[in-house]
Amino acid sequence: MELLSHDILIIGGGLAGLRAAIEAKKSGRDVAILSKVHPLRSHSVAAQGGINAALGNAPAPSKDTWKNHAFDTIKGSDYLADQDAVEVMCREATERVVEMEHWGTLFSRTKDGKIAQRPFGGAGFPRACYAADRTGHSLLHTLYEQVIGLQIPVYEEWVALSLVVDEGRCAGALGLHFFEGKIIPIQAKAVILATGGYGRTYLRSTNAVINTGRGCFLAYQTGVPLEDMEFVQFHPTSLFGTNILITEGARGEGGYLINAKGERFMERYAPHLMELGPRDIVARGAQTEIDQGRGFEGGYVSLDLRHLGREKILDRLPGIRQIAMDFAGVDPILKPIPIQPAQHYSMGGIPTNVDGETQLPGLLAAGECACVSVHGANRLGGNSLLETLVFGDRAGRKAAEQVGKEREIRRDTVFQNHLRAFQIGLEEIFERKTEEPSFLIRDEMKALMTSQVGIYRNEPALLSAKEKIKELKKRFLKIGLKQRDLAFNHEAIQYWDLEGMLHLVDAIVEGALVRKESRGSHFRVDFPNRDDEHWLRHTLAFKTPEGAKLDYKEVTITSYPPKERTY
Amino acid sequence: MTSNLLTLRIKRFHKEKDPPQWIETFQVEIRKGMNLLEALLYIQDEQDGTLSFRYSCRGAVCGSCAMRVNGKDVLACRTHVEDLLEKPALIEPLPSFPVIRDLIVDLSVFFDHYRNIEPYLQGKPVSPHVEYLMEEQKRKEIDPYINCVLCGICFGTCPAFEKDSAFLGPAMLAKAYRFLADPRDRRNDEILKAVNTQQGVWGCKTVFNCVKVCPKEVPPTHGIVKMRGRILRYRLVSIVSRLSSLFSHSKSI
Repeated sequence: MELLSHDILIIGGGLAGLRAAIEAKKSGRDVAILSKVHPLRSHSVAAQGGINAALGNAPAPSKDTWKNHAFDTIKGSDYLADQDAVEVMCREATERVVEMEHWGTLFSRTKDGKIAQRPFGGAGFPRACYAADRTGHSLLHTLYEQVIGLQIPVYEEWVALSLVVDEGRCAGALGLHFFEGKIIPIQAKAVILATGGYGRTYLRSTNAVINTGRGCFLAYQTGVPLEDMEFVQFHPTSLFGTNILITEGARGEGGYLINAKGERFMERYAPHLMELGPRDIVARGAQTEIDQGRGFEGGYVSLDLRHLGREKILDRLPGIRQIAMDFAGVDPILKPIPIQPAQHYSMGGIPTNVDGETQLPGLLAAGECACVSVHGANRLGGNSLLETLVFGDRAGRKAAEQVGKEREIRRDTVFQNHLRAFQIGLEEIFERKTEEPSFLIRDEMKALMTSQVGIYRNEPALLSAKEKIKELKKRFLKIGLKQRDLAFNHEAIQYWDLEGMLHLVDAIVEGALVRKESRGSHFRVDFPNRDDEHWLRHTLAFKTPEGAKLDYKEVTITSYPPKERTY
Repeated sequence: MTSNLLTLRIKRFHKEKDPPQWIETFQVEIRKGMNLLEALLYIQDEQDGTLSFRYSCRGAVCGSCAMRVNGKDVLACRTHVEDLLEKPALIEPLPSFPVIRDLIVDLSVFFDHYRNIEPYLQGKPVSPHVEYLMEEQKRKEIDPYINCVLCGICFGTCPAFEKDSAFLGPAMLAKAYRFLADPRDRRNDEILKAVNTQQGVWGCKTVFNCVKVCPKEVPPTHGIVKMRGRILRYRLVSIVSRLSSLFSHSKSI
């Protein structure tokens, strides 16, 4: 049996994974990255508007501070974020952003040559540092360039099949070399999951097609719980039809949201911040307009940038102009962009401390797949890129600190046994004769999540979703694989992804059903108010044969007691 | 009247099959606004699970789904199927790279060239606490070169490879220019030296094919021409300084 070995294995090659790899490598550890796509194809590349750090570069009545940033983040989270973690993130933001600038990220500039910052939703200051509207692209390319410089090996187009746990410790993973069809165990003293979110459990999502929440499921399978899964962010402005993201930066630069009657409808939902309210509130506003018949035919509202003028659009928002022209045939200089809310971000994920450690020794997580929790019930725009860098860095450093440089003995037997068990499971799937293709189940699941577990939720819809997921799981267990060779076996990848997603949506629905309050992105029409007395706590979902079983844990409050949230 | 049926003739390649290469025809009922990537995903789901191609963002920012469509190299996700209805569309892998399977090509040479130009900023010593100050005008000058998504499309249309397969290629020369133009990078001479070869800026035929096909509007040729100019100026300056030192030398005799 071939057995690869590294000090630290990082699963996922987006911003969090690359940042972790750089830190661990700089600490002198033997690090490798495993990614199902080339790192530059990771979803981080699609982030547009900005990354928050209280640099205070943009003109404002007073000087921005990391404490302001922390307050906005906590208020934005509807007080569900762990405040100690938010403080860490906001305190380290400046350092991480300046570091990226020194590594080569081409940020837009102020008149005096500093990193430019634009206003973003739910923020009291212009705090989002931006590189035009391709901030994620610029950051990801910069980090990948660093990875090249440090010669960190990448197992490109490999799929992580499962985590190997030995004597209560994560000991590595099974990787599938997709082009060769070989399952190859990789031993590691620590594994860092950085696989991104689970947006593709929804039909309408801004996420890349690859965002299936694989890492969350890998952890969940080992017995690690998933935290706050019911908190799913819906972005107010996705392109109508394709749901490609149109950055919040468009509103940060002054764009208006307009309904079919020509009204700036945010007046009804966030009279002070208007279009720059936090995402949960703006998304509900847009959805309400559509639901109550004030949208355009087909079910959308529009984002009007025309008054910004040609020059500003070309200078600050060239990427979304190109997207609107390519995918909707609309030039925003001349016409408003048709938009609708769509799933955008997964606040929930693998619970970690501020150093990325999970409850399973040897297993760490960072980025969107993790739940530190810095976003609580609603993430502010510009904080996800920041999270990847701050907690990627911390997880990389912690992993390096944990593992030491000394050679580890090969654990051939452990991996051999794990591999054999996996292959026996696979045989069983090959033997099944059901002809139902998995994409039917996948598409039913996605449609169900968007229609029943979307922006507005209620008990009957959630109960029926729960029943439906049970049925889908049953049907899934009968699905067989026709092609035995694992090389280029899309059917098998589809199968494993769907298996994971069915478990994740089960946790989302269970969390949403039981949480009888409305907080941040989780809005229950039947319980429209926040209920701190009963629900100021994190949900933990554990995987059991009967489905997700819930438990709860306290929210860490430091200096910001929960208050009513108005904008 | 155009029909709603899209016909794709896809060039397949499975190295273990005999013959390894064939063209297969698929038909897809289209929806309004559908793009080619969606059509391919639909085929993979419902008609042939063995059809292989790369994809990720479906929004023309990740550079995964580059392929040749009716002889033109494009990103599948930003190719509207409405434009492909006239006759059966021929879908092929990107040219000039070895095919791994179907529409998936081996980009290792591409990324070898990328690594060869040391594509990471080698900065001047700066304070760790504050950003380097850069004029917005300077940023705008570099910005077009930053937008490259490394999709590989420019390699397929560049005639310089016909003469020398070791040519660095448009994307890499654009990347080299990106670092050269960046005031934060200290390597000016090194970068110019590295591209001052036939495999570098002098291999380019300045036909602007790469500029025309780039899905992200990156202008590699413009960067190449600018680098040539810098190199020539450099040579001129060194000739002039040699001459003038000769002149002052002869005077002093």
